[in-house]
Amino acid sequence: MIKIDKLKKNYGKLEVLKGISTEIGQGEVLAIIGPSGSGKSTFLRCINMLETPTDGQIWFKDQIITEKKTNIMKVRENVGMVFQHFHLFPHKTVLENLTYAPMKVKKLSKAEAVNQARELLKKVGLADKESSYPNRLSGGQKQRVAIARALAMNPEVMLFDEPTSALDPEMVKEVLDVMKSLAHTGMTMLIVTHEMGFAKEVADRVLFLDEGLLVEESAPEEFFSNPKSQRAKDFLEKVL
Amino acid sequence: MNLDFETIRPSLPYIMEGIPTTLKVVAVAAVIGFILGILLSILKISRIKPLNWIADFYTSIFRGTPLVLQLMLIYFGSPQILGIQIEAFQAAFLAFGLNSAAYISEIIRGGILAVDKGQREAALALGVPYSSMMLNIILPQAIKNILPSLVNELISLTKESAVVTIIGLGDIMRRSYIVGGETYKFFEPILFAGLIYYVMVMVLTILGKVIERRMRRSD
Repeated sequence: MIKIDKLKKNYGKLEVLKGISTEIGQGEVLAIIGPSGSGKSTFLRCINMLETPTDGQIWFKDQIITEKKTNIMKVRENVGMVFQHFHLFPHKTVLENLTYAPMKVKKLSKAEAVNQARELLKKVGLADKESSYPNRLSGGQKQRVAIARALAMNPEVMLFDEPTSALDPEMVKEVLDVMKSLAHTGMTMLIVTHEMGFAKEVADRVLFLDEGLLVEESAPEEFFSNPKSQRAKDFLEKVL
Repeated sequence: MNLDFETIRPSLPYIMEGIPTTLKVVAVAAVIGFILGILLSILKISRIKPLNWIADFYTSIFRGTPLVLQLMLIYFGSPQILGIQIEAFQAAFLAFGLNSAAYISEIIRGGILAVDKGQREAALALGVPYSSMMLNIILPQAIKNILPSLVNELISLTKESAVVTIIGLGDIMRRSYIVGGETYKFFEPILFAGLIYYVMVMVLTILGKVIERRMRRSD
């Protein structure tokens, strides 16, 4: 579904990604882990072109999205993204956060958008919050709204950029539970995370990045019990 | 101090008839200034350098010269620039509108830059086009934050509108001056004009506070 070929990203002289290649199949759940500064977030943000790659190609289905002539806005409609700091629209209610893009971009009628939004809010357990403003919600609730907002566009892929890193510990589980049930629906998911337990349990494959390189790529059982590279061993020793 | 309002009392309604003139100049100039100010601020934050230059040059001209000079250039210069003498009202709308656009564009630019960068990314990630993102996501948040500065600009505009006296528009200021000339008493009518301006500014201040409170309901 997504194919990444020799992806490179430089910020001036700083090489953040030094040529990463991989493929992601439909319905696959990928955990992207690695030390901070390894390029995980940059890698994820290249996939919906929030960062413009310096070199290399990314295919989304049969489209090369890194080419200039590709309408990236159309691609983004199909690629949902969830941020570490939620980025809900603070001047809109929860319901409006969920209906805005479907109405604006997909031209859904208000009734359709509202119906769908209520359905999604039920799924993330926040049906009673639809008329609240984001500032009234806890971190965990905000992130669940953010997930619902991304799902409201009916994306084929969901990108998660450290979705639980800004949360108080007691709120991590409610967000991970929503993500887990999403994974069970067959959604293709790319998750940058520090939650090793979650990665082990939910991911089909683990990508371990270090210093801009894809150092290791394997099934979670194998990666966590028997890492091949020294760098992955060192990393796991520190975090587990 | 001996104040004598008796002599000018018959002329007070005449001075007050200047209120609509003042309000008209302020209202039209505020609308022109606000819309043009938004457009200029968007040019200023554009990644296309020449657009930044155009908007910055515009601002430097209107901030770098006196407002009264701009008004006179537009009014007295119109026959040479446009080939026709424009009306005093039109000159006032233009001068005040163009001038306050320069100030408002700076205020809005600051407001846009103060909106969290994540808002832009969230909108882009949802496939929302640039124009909708600006109009529905960024500007409402920016304007909420800069509302006090905008009210301030509107207050300045109200007071500075007294400058239209110079091109013969019958606003509050000019009428009070005329009454002074006719009665040989300048202190009282001008004091009265001052009171009118003060009340108008107070009304604006209260209105600004009401709007601000309404916009803060999402906090």
